[in-house]
Amino acid sequence: MSNYIPGLEGIIAAQTRISMVDGENGRLVYHGYVIADLAEEMSFEEVAHLLWHGRLPTRAELDALTLELAGSRALTPAATATLEALPTDTDPMDVLRSVVSVQGVEHRLEKPTVALAIHLTASFPTILAAFHRRQQGQPAIKPRADLGHAANYLYMMNGKESSPEIVRALNTYLVLLADHGMNASTFTARVIASTDSDLASCVVGAIGALKGPAHGGAPSAVIEQLEQIGTAENAERWMREARTRKVKFMGFGHRVYRVYDPRAKILKAMCERMNPKFYALATKVEEVALRILHEEHPERPQSTNVEFYSAGVLQAIGLPKQYFTPTFAVSRAAGWTAHVLEQVANNRIIRPQSEYIGPEPRKPVPLAERG
Amino acid sequence: MAEFSPGLEGVVAAETAVSEVDGAGGRLIYRGGYLIEDIVPVAGYEEAAYLLWHGELPAESELAALRRQMSNARSLNKSGRGALVALDQQTNAMDVLRTVVSAQGASKTLNKPTLDEAIALTAVFPTIVGAAHRRRQGKDVVEPRADLGHAANLLWMMSGEEPKSDQVHWLDSYLVLLADHGLNASTFAARVVASTGSDLTSCVVGAIAALKGPAHGGATFAARTMLDKIGTAENAERWLTEAHARHERFSGFGHRVYRTYDPRAKILREMAKTASPELYKTAARTEEVALKILHDAHPDRPNATNVDFWASVVLTGAGIPKELFTSIFATSRVSGWTAHVLESLSDLRLIRPASRWTGPEPGRKPAQLAKR
Repeated sequence: MSNYIPGLEGIIAAQTRISMVDGENGRLVYHGYVIADLAEEMSFEEVAHLLWHGRLPTRAELDALTLELAGSRALTPAATATLEALPTDTDPMDVLRSVVSVQGVEHRLEKPTVALAIHLTASFPTILAAFHRRQQGQPAIKPRADLGHAANYLYMMNGKESSPEIVRALNTYLVLLADHGMNASTFTARVIASTDSDLASCVVGAIGALKGPAHGGAPSAVIEQLEQIGTAENAERWMREARTRKVKFMGFGHRVYRVYDPRAKILKAMCERMNPKFYALATKVEEVALRILHEEHPERPQSTNVEFYSAGVLQAIGLPKQYFTPTFAVSRAAGWTAHVLEQVANNRIIRPQSEYIGPEPRKPVPLAERG
Repeated sequence: MAEFSPGLEGVVAAETAVSEVDGAGGRLIYRGGYLIEDIVPVAGYEEAAYLLWHGELPAESELAALRRQMSNARSLNKSGRGALVALDQQTNAMDVLRTVVSAQGASKTLNKPTLDEAIALTAVFPTIVGAAHRRRQGKDVVEPRADLGHAANLLWMMSGEEPKSDQVHWLDSYLVLLADHGLNASTFAARVVASTGSDLTSCVVGAIAALKGPAHGGATFAARTMLDKIGTAENAERWLTEAHARHERFSGFGHRVYRTYDPRAKILREMAKTASPELYKTAARTEEVALKILHDAHPDRPNATNVDFWASVVLTGAGIPKELFTSIFATSRVSGWTAHVLESLSDLRLIRPASRWTGPEPGRKPAQLAKR
């Protein structure tokens, strides 16, 4: 009999105080606070402090963290040179993976610390914006220490300040996505941390996992599918027809949630305000998708996931599609590093077992006698 | 409610035909059902890699084709070269590997992992390790040579000199022995990354990142460092007794899975006698004393010598400086990593375990900033 547990579904791989995904009740909790109480109230910096230290910062702590993040935004000369060596049509996730790998090089192997977490988290927007500017044939914009994490990211991308409403929307997105239990990229980071490797290694591994379409790589696909559908009137016909070709509906289904994802709810409301055109089409597509999915599998809880309305919010913010998943990484960097710190504080190497399904032991044939 | 098993010990996270670690029997089985001790005498690294990828040992023509494909894939592309020269010359070889592999594999579109990519990635590792070594010494990088096999070319790119056949043999045997080992932490990391539908480069970069940890790939370096501190066979008893009194761990002993002597350690121990006779004496005495101390301290525990201990002696004989041990381990294991990723594609399912919440009761309200 096999003890193999596909996808490790239901297996507890860690104890954590950082975040809890309560799939039954549709709650996401950071250190005891439900996400709806944080999303539109807190800055990304406050939430990063919460994830790293386990409590919200005082004014003095927040000022100190803001200063430290702003002071860590510049890339090292090696990181800049690596960024410039990559062709301009490179997937920005590959750029992020490669340049974070350089930015995080340490002269000796150090145990992960909050200071290192701040250093790496601060560099993500700089890397992405510098590469975006290069793609546009424009020089990189120097970070501005007087702007917060979200505002400065947009400033470096666009070369000008964004409106308060847009900055606020990006900030909310960054807060919403900053952590989410034992998702695949966070788990990757913890597996790497469990070998006593360094923080950059953990984060680079996590970026690689987030790139996968089954994890973070799908929000741009949501936009592409909506573009194909075109209009609300066309939704039903297109989607029924797509289903006969086994086309997957982008932005639906989640391993954990059994009810509506609380982040999707907040992002949906933001879309209604900020991106009415997207909202009109997306709500129709959502309705049809949920109906079709329910007809096919009435037993399955098929709900809209966070990526569906993320796409509309990120589009309204003005980020190019290619930068949707990398912006997810900008946010999740805080959670990844927090999990690594938690893992190393009480570590045991993560080394599961496998079940051998190959042939029984036998003798190899020498080269000359093969074929 | 499910139980939390720290380190996922005893949890079966994959079905695999790539390799099997039979801890109770002290056997390592490679794909196709071959015991490691049967493979080493008949197959070099390219054959072992072929076996892990295809499930069968290659016929002569298949081996020749693989060798050709690998030697054609040894050069860095523009991105890989750019990242290499961007790095400070003193950068640790594992950080060089993590970065240059990432840049080398940077692409415009997301590609599903393929065998050709696995071969190309495996082929380029010695180029990166060799270059990292040369740059650390302030020397020019040596271009790969297509007429040499995988192990010989690695030594060539490190030294720029014609490698000695004994050293090639020891290094090649090491590379065969370490090429796969069940669901170790780096292989598991690669499979987790693969499970999201990500690309092969991301899987391998994640695996390199995990192998870098001293509790995983860094153990060979630690074993050699301990032998350096011990210095001579005569000094072993005193040094180990004192270290044990200070509660220091002995590097190169103990393994999560093996309950008997690691079969790879057995082969390397034998090889060490000729590969590095002086160091062998110190190591053999160290092993004898360490096992006795460990047994006296914990008679209940199976405390056997692990592969890292004897690998450190054999690699020394092959002319590899200890700063490169972990990256040489990666150079071997990359065939296993890629074989696991390719295997996992046939039944891809997102690896997303659960966690247990140990934080405060959910639902408390955040205080306003001014009131904190």
